[in-house]
Amino acid sequence: MFDEFRQIAQSISNEYIQNEKKKGSLCIGYTCSYFPEEILHSLGILPYRIKGINVSSLSVADAAFGPFICSHPKCLLQHFADGDYSFLDGIIVTPGCDSMRRIDECIRKTAVNLDLPVVPPFFFHYAVPHKITEYSIKWLVEELQRFIDEVTKHFSLSFSYDALKQSIRFYNQLRAKIEKLNSLRMEQPPAVSGADAVAAFVAGLSMPREIFLQKLDAFLSHLETQPYNNRVRLMLIGSANDDVELLSLIENDNAVVVADTLCYGPRLEIDYVDEVDEPLHALAVRYLNHSHCPRMYGGYKERKAKVVEAIAKARVDGVILQNIRFCDLHGAENGLLERDLEQMGVPCLRLEREYGPLADYERMRMRIDAFIERMEVRRYVCDRP
Amino acid sequence: MRQALKQYKFDWMLWRTYEAGSKLLAGTAQEYDIALRYIPYFKDPVKEVYKAKAGQLFLEMTATYLDNIVNAHQRGKKTCMTTFCFSPAILYALDIVPVTLELLTVMMTFLYKRGTFEFLDYCNEVGFTETSCSSQRGSMGALLADLGTPIDMVVTDSPGVCDTNANAFSFFAAYKDVPFFQLNMPPWLVEERVTEYHVQDYKALVAFLEEQSGKKLDEDRLRQILKELQKQDELINELEQYLCYKPLPLPVTTCLFIYAGRFMFAGMPIYTRLLELLVAEGRENVALHKQGINTSHEKSRGFFCYIDHYTHSLRLWQMLEELNIGYAGNILSHFWAQSNPPVVKYNCPESAYSINTNTLEDMLTSIAAINSRMPMIKSIRGPYDSPYMWLQDTLALASMYQADFIVYNGTPGCRNTWGMVKLLAQDTEKAGFPTHIMYADAFDDRVQSWDATRDRFEEFLRVRRLI
Amino acid sequence: MIVAGCDIGSLTTKLVLFDGKKVIASSIIKSKPKPEDGAYEALEQACAIATVNQTDIVYCVGTGYGRKRVPFAQDNVSEISCHTKGAFYLYPNVRTIIDIGGQDCKVISLNDRGEVDRFVTNDKCAAGTGRFLEVMAKVLKVELQELSNMAKKGNDAITLASACTVWAQADVIKYLNEGMPKENIALGVCKSMAKRVGVLVNQARIKRDVCITGGVAKNTAVVKELESLLGVTILKITNVDPQLTGALGAALFAYQKAGGV
Repeated sequence: MFDEFRQIAQSISNEYIQNEKKKGSLCIGYTCSYFPEEILHSLGILPYRIKGINVSSLSVADAAFGPFICSHPKCLLQHFADGDYSFLDGIIVTPGCDSMRRIDECIRKTAVNLDLPVVPPFFFHYAVPHKITEYSIKWLVEELQRFIDEVTKHFSLSFSYDALKQSIRFYNQLRAKIEKLNSLRMEQPPAVSGADAVAAFVAGLSMPREIFLQKLDAFLSHLETQPYNNRVRLMLIGSANDDVELLSLIENDNAVVVADTLCYGPRLEIDYVDEVDEPLHALAVRYLNHSHCPRMYGGYKERKAKVVEAIAKARVDGVILQNIRFCDLHGAENGLLERDLEQMGVPCLRLEREYGPLADYERMRMRIDAFIERMEVRRYVCDRP
Repeated sequence: MRQALKQYKFDWMLWRTYEAGSKLLAGTAQEYDIALRYIPYFKDPVKEVYKAKAGQLFLEMTATYLDNIVNAHQRGKKTCMTTFCFSPAILYALDIVPVTLELLTVMMTFLYKRGTFEFLDYCNEVGFTETSCSSQRGSMGALLADLGTPIDMVVTDSPGVCDTNANAFSFFAAYKDVPFFQLNMPPWLVEERVTEYHVQDYKALVAFLEEQSGKKLDEDRLRQILKELQKQDELINELEQYLCYKPLPLPVTTCLFIYAGRFMFAGMPIYTRLLELLVAEGRENVALHKQGINTSHEKSRGFFCYIDHYTHSLRLWQMLEELNIGYAGNILSHFWAQSNPPVVKYNCPESAYSINTNTLEDMLTSIAAINSRMPMIKSIRGPYDSPYMWLQDTLALASMYQADFIVYNGTPGCRNTWGMVKLLAQDTEKAGFPTHIMYADAFDDRVQSWDATRDRFEEFLRVRRLI
Repeated sequence: MIVAGCDIGSLTTKLVLFDGKKVIASSIIKSKPKPEDGAYEALEQACAIATVNQTDIVYCVGTGYGRKRVPFAQDNVSEISCHTKGAFYLYPNVRTIIDIGGQDCKVISLNDRGEVDRFVTNDKCAAGTGRFLEVMAKVLKVELQELSNMAKKGNDAITLASACTVWAQADVIKYLNEGMPKENIALGVCKSMAKRVGVLVNQARIKRDVCITGGVAKNTAVVKELESLLGVTILKITNVDPQLTGALGAALFAYQKAGGV
């Protein structure tokens, strides 16, 4: 099963999407975990979390973005320019961070410059506030309503609150399964590797969610082996990651990533959407509060508390704080976490990396190996009579 | 950081230096010449600044700003770390002392050959990312190292506009455990719900400031400050008209004075006096048909679509003068009052602010609008080619000032502009403006040396037959 | 019992033979396009010096970038652990190791048992690594080994764009064209390098004693500047070539793994 998840996670399109497209379904891509898929689902649109995986060159992306930009959005743009996202009927761009928000102009202008149909027919700039207050929640409710108005008008769809409520219920069921998978990886020993867990999370964002739920269910009921005993238990924190290979690189054959805070993953807490509240308000509250992203300025203490809680729960030996170069948000927060976690006695490794074709795995391997060796020595020392 | 650098508080050093600089003209010409010999690093900025008649007041104003910071606690006032694109008027209304990181970085960068290198690096040493913007890092490093006045609260209004800016402030607040407030900016400007959001957010800011300072916002004081701002807007409007003339009747540092003064003392009488001096010089030169540049005739005119280059000795301004380039300002020198010439000329009052001092509610609405039209906050918040954003503003201003070319200069930390500047340059070129992108760091010569920056700029001017 | 440690770096391949008491032979050669070829050549050289057969070597540990490509190694250990092991063996009082290799700069903090407590490394950029000096030496048209002596003769260092090797190179060329004495340029290069490394050392929070390993340890101009920047005396490894510390550490690991104490 995990082979299939990996395969889906590591490719842009897959047979499930192709089948949906053949049936005439719409598919809309989005760039940030602050967008509630429930709305798309309720409209019968297949939500797709846009990935940057497997790009082999950045010829177009480097021409559009300047040199001092994170390589992840560059890879997304390159896929658009290469026509890999031609199955998308729409795209939702969010000011998740400055590098990612500029994909808006870069996609549109690339289409003009190259005279290519790289811009999906429906294009929406979704403005998410950076703080949680009554008025920012109100703003987000209006933003969701604006999206509903525009998408239904563009594709001549009809929206219903009942359908949305059903979708909210469905997603809460899905969350329960994801929570289960997430807790299994935290066990001692973990029942699933970090790479496999992340493959499942990422795959789940690129296929019809009903099928994902079935497959996840089937997988969870067949989990038996626990092959990850005696490995160094790591937590992975930092920049967005849709690349299962990063996890495989870290885990190698002597470590296992038992928890992470990564975008594309479930993050630390599986927050459920309130099924009683007015649906748009409930979605706005959940998505704005589900903030394990340093884009929510001023929320460091809350995020650190969640990390500390996860370290204890998952019995983490050490934390890898990674950020893609030019990811200022995680680059800075990793510095704070390193200071605070090391003070608490939790060993940390800070790692700056590139995403996609620029990734220099050998350099990272050496650092990770040394860090794991440090953990092993600690374990040996702690276990010594 | 070198031990020697830890011997003095950096803000105190800056204060004493600028204060001494502002008194250099108090003696005879001979005494002035002799004094310059003793300040080898500071003499170039001083000479450049003194070319304008408002130069002395500008230095006095800078010294006063630093004096306020250094002695804030002694005078029973709270300090607020903030950013250049946040209007300090509300802080003055609540008697809180603004400590604006970018201003302090520039003040130090102007003065020292090594700029703020060690403070920049110190930020990285304590864990802050080295890819972040140097404009904040330069002085933040000193404050992280406790080499400046202690900070009581942190306020930024860049979330939604500039991550690296907002991130620096939130890092500092978390690192030092200081109360933090952020104003958010939606990606649009002209919409009723955006205005409503700005006002609600601003009211929350006032509540935060009242709580932190222990003072209640004084309606009359706010009114007085806003009225002063109105006066300042009128003076800026007149200066902007002169900036459209060819050749320029104003000294090359005029725009620097306009925006630096406003960032320091928006709504305060000392800034009004500075503007009055600039206007007087402009009027006089216009009457005499005299140009502001001291050398020969203006060969061509540039518009900087982002920020200037601030490293040691005001070399950017020196170079522009040497090359006989008329300098018509940058994105920082525009504050978008409804009466502002570009707003009037391009008839876009809805994107600008007006000041209404009738009731407290009117004033808060006005000041929220002023703040949301601050440089960068207004133009860089949304896609660059959206209405009233970077492209429209750049083309409007470059046309109005009769610029012959456009220059982008920023820092490698500026994710937001580097994410779209290549596209902007394509569009400005299409509109007929040769456009030069500088790869330098406006605050850190170690990224690209000034010599290399100048070489490439001159090459651009020559290749495009602009000089 | 003879064991070996083989350190395949980006610029050089190093091999140390250790008999449980002392280093009996070592070799340093330029890395080959195929790391295996370099490893064999280094092994042959060292064996020839020690007059031992390759079959006499009971255990070998690989380290460095090519640590998994050492054909005759039974195991591999990261170079951070190996440098730590090697330096601690040579100087038991060392608590901070600055290792500047060809494309890497690392600062390692040790505990009293000689174990890695924490480490920081340079990231993507070549500035602050041996490659930076190599590029600059090439521009100045001197051998890498000469750069340090040249810098010592400089009296007015140029300021260099230390943040980027490419831009720094452009600056050096410009200074050369302007007729700036090479010595002052070399001094500027070394100072710039030291500043970059200094930031990294401060990130790791320096603990005394401090020692320097890796190829750049041989550049006394950089070391002197670092000492002045950090306000500490930096121990230079004199009993073996500082470039060999990683290979020595690997040999010590090999000795342990082969059952030696």
